[in-house]
Amino acid sequence: MSASTLIAILTAGLTNGAVYALATIGLSLVWGSLGMLNMAHGALLTLGGYAAYTVVTTYGLPAPVGFVGGIAAGALAGAILYGAVVKHLLKQPSETFETNVLIATVGIGIALENTILLVYGGQPFRQPTSMDGLLRIGVTSVPVQDIVIILVSLLMMGVVGWILARTRMGRAIRATAQNREAAQLMGVPIRRVYLQVLMLAGALAGICGVLVSSITQLSPSLGGDPMLKAFIMCVIAGLGNLPGAVASAFGLALIEAFVQFGAGARWGFPVLLLIVILVLIWRPTGLFGRAAIRRL
Amino acid sequence: MTMSSTPTLMARHRAPYGDLAMALLVIASLVAIPYVVESRYLLGQVILALFYATIASQWNLLFGFAGVFSLAQMAIFGFGGYATAMLCVYFGWNIWPALPVGAVAAVVFSLLIGLACLRLAGVYVALLTLAIAQALYLLIVTDTECFRMVGSACRQFTGGAVGFARFGDFGTRALFRAKWLVGNYAIVSVLFGFTMLCTYGIVKSPIGLAFRALKDNPGYAVARGVNRFQSQLLVFGVSAFFTGLAGGFYAAHFQAISPGILSLSQLLFIIAATVVGGIGTFWGPLVGTVVLMVADEAMRETGEYRTLGLGLIITAAIILMPNGLIGRLGDVVGWARKRFAAKAPSLSATQ
Repeated sequence: MSASTLIAILTAGLTNGAVYALATIGLSLVWGSLGMLNMAHGALLTLGGYAAYTVVTTYGLPAPVGFVGGIAAGALAGAILYGAVVKHLLKQPSETFETNVLIATVGIGIALENTILLVYGGQPFRQPTSMDGLLRIGVTSVPVQDIVIILVSLLMMGVVGWILARTRMGRAIRATAQNREAAQLMGVPIRRVYLQVLMLAGALAGICGVLVSSITQLSPSLGGDPMLKAFIMCVIAGLGNLPGAVASAFGLALIEAFVQFGAGARWGFPVLLLIVILVLIWRPTGLFGRAAIRRL
Repeated sequence: MTMSSTPTLMARHRAPYGDLAMALLVIASLVAIPYVVESRYLLGQVILALFYATIASQWNLLFGFAGVFSLAQMAIFGFGGYATAMLCVYFGWNIWPALPVGAVAAVVFSLLIGLACLRLAGVYVALLTLAIAQALYLLIVTDTECFRMVGSACRQFTGGAVGFARFGDFGTRALFRAKWLVGNYAIVSVLFGFTMLCTYGIVKSPIGLAFRALKDNPGYAVARGVNRFQSQLLVFGVSAFFTGLAGGFYAAHFQAISPGILSLSQLLFIIAATVVGGIGTFWGPLVGTVVLMVADEAMRETGEYRTLGLGLIITAAIILMPNGLIGRLGDVVGWARKRFAAKAPSLSATQ
């Protein structure tokens, strides 16, 4: 294997890893603080990508504005998801919440994806919110967009980490994730925290959608693949574990890139799945998960 | 004490009569349908509904009764169908012996999935089974390697994106000629009835109680000596048998099988039917399938809005009636009974 091939594979792995990490963080954050698996996350990704496309193509605004548009659309969709679905499900008995919210968000996801299909049609578009050009590294060159994706993704991880660790809102989110009742008794406005988490996750999905569509194409099923990958990364890392999510996203994306180079593109995902299953047989709580004591 | 416990005891004794009445109603409708329904299209839709109701009843057995949130239901259905079709295509089997073998293949496949997934807790099972189902779908769709030549065309081992076709049928065309669809309808009805009967037996049996105990309170069930992993693996295998069998019948009825049945929207329809009818109720999946099929037919006019409508129906159903139509019916019956019970003593008092 020549150096240029190795660099190409590493770039592909790291770029995909950055995208997967953002998708995984969004899923994991919502699970950690709300105890809900958001099956509509993939559709939120798609929405973000198309929102950026619309802002740039239809309104003729510059690409950074399109990027902001993607973020805003994701956050808004997160807020609507809370107001229209999650708020009402929280009133139902708590033991059925976990599965009911899963089914409800499956419905929302399919409805949202279908709406996008009806509005924009099924033909793929090129994402205008991206950067052209190549960057020379030694003997080979790497697309600038890949570098941008990795940097934006790292920046976003930093922002999420900062929000969670340093702000009042982050403290409230962590308190709710640790113990919902205790947080409520301490005066944390639980419902506002839920709204904030879903908006934050929606914004992350919007960014992720813009990034992933810039290296592939815009299509109504855009979010499906990153969400599926994010699922198995969550399984490996343990849902709700953000550093683990980032580590497993990059690790699995690199493995995927090497497998796709060695055995063909279609074997990437099945091999990942096999690795995940083997890891689970070895460690049923995930690679980074601790055996959680569940109250019954 | 005795007075207050009487109604619940009576209700427990009354329950089988309700199921019996419902079963008679279903059987009567199944017998009447071919005499009433003239159009071939409509009879075809009824057959399709019976397939959906069969799969939904097995997903309900798995999730509604045993609490295993598996999203590999259509993958197991497809596996049964593909196994049946491939036995006919590659080994020249007749469809009838291929059906049970296909079902057993689906059981083996499901047990492998179960071994990998069922040690995990609730939501991780959903994630991993969905990932496995999607991997299977993608592997079949992207299969382009030549396995054999049919005429001048190259065919893949898995059938690729096209799938398999014309590998045999039930033999109803030769037997009933123009009335072959009614023959197929009868066969699928028997499959449906057989599946429902066995499912009822399982749900009411001691092992069915163990499944429900594990769902209602896993900690308590395990403390009372129910082995969670073994029980869930068992229910996984049992539901896979009927699901895989239905898959084989599906392939034989349509004389074709393609990866389309493994897609997410098919799985969604099954989940929607169970949710709308009532998760964890025996008749829920059937009621939900009928309601959704009728709604789907009504939405045919709107064409492309069908999927959108289906998604919204699922979400609305789970928000507005988390126990489904059967649950709502139960609420109404309970309310009426309470009203009746409240009135009855006052009547006797006046006399």
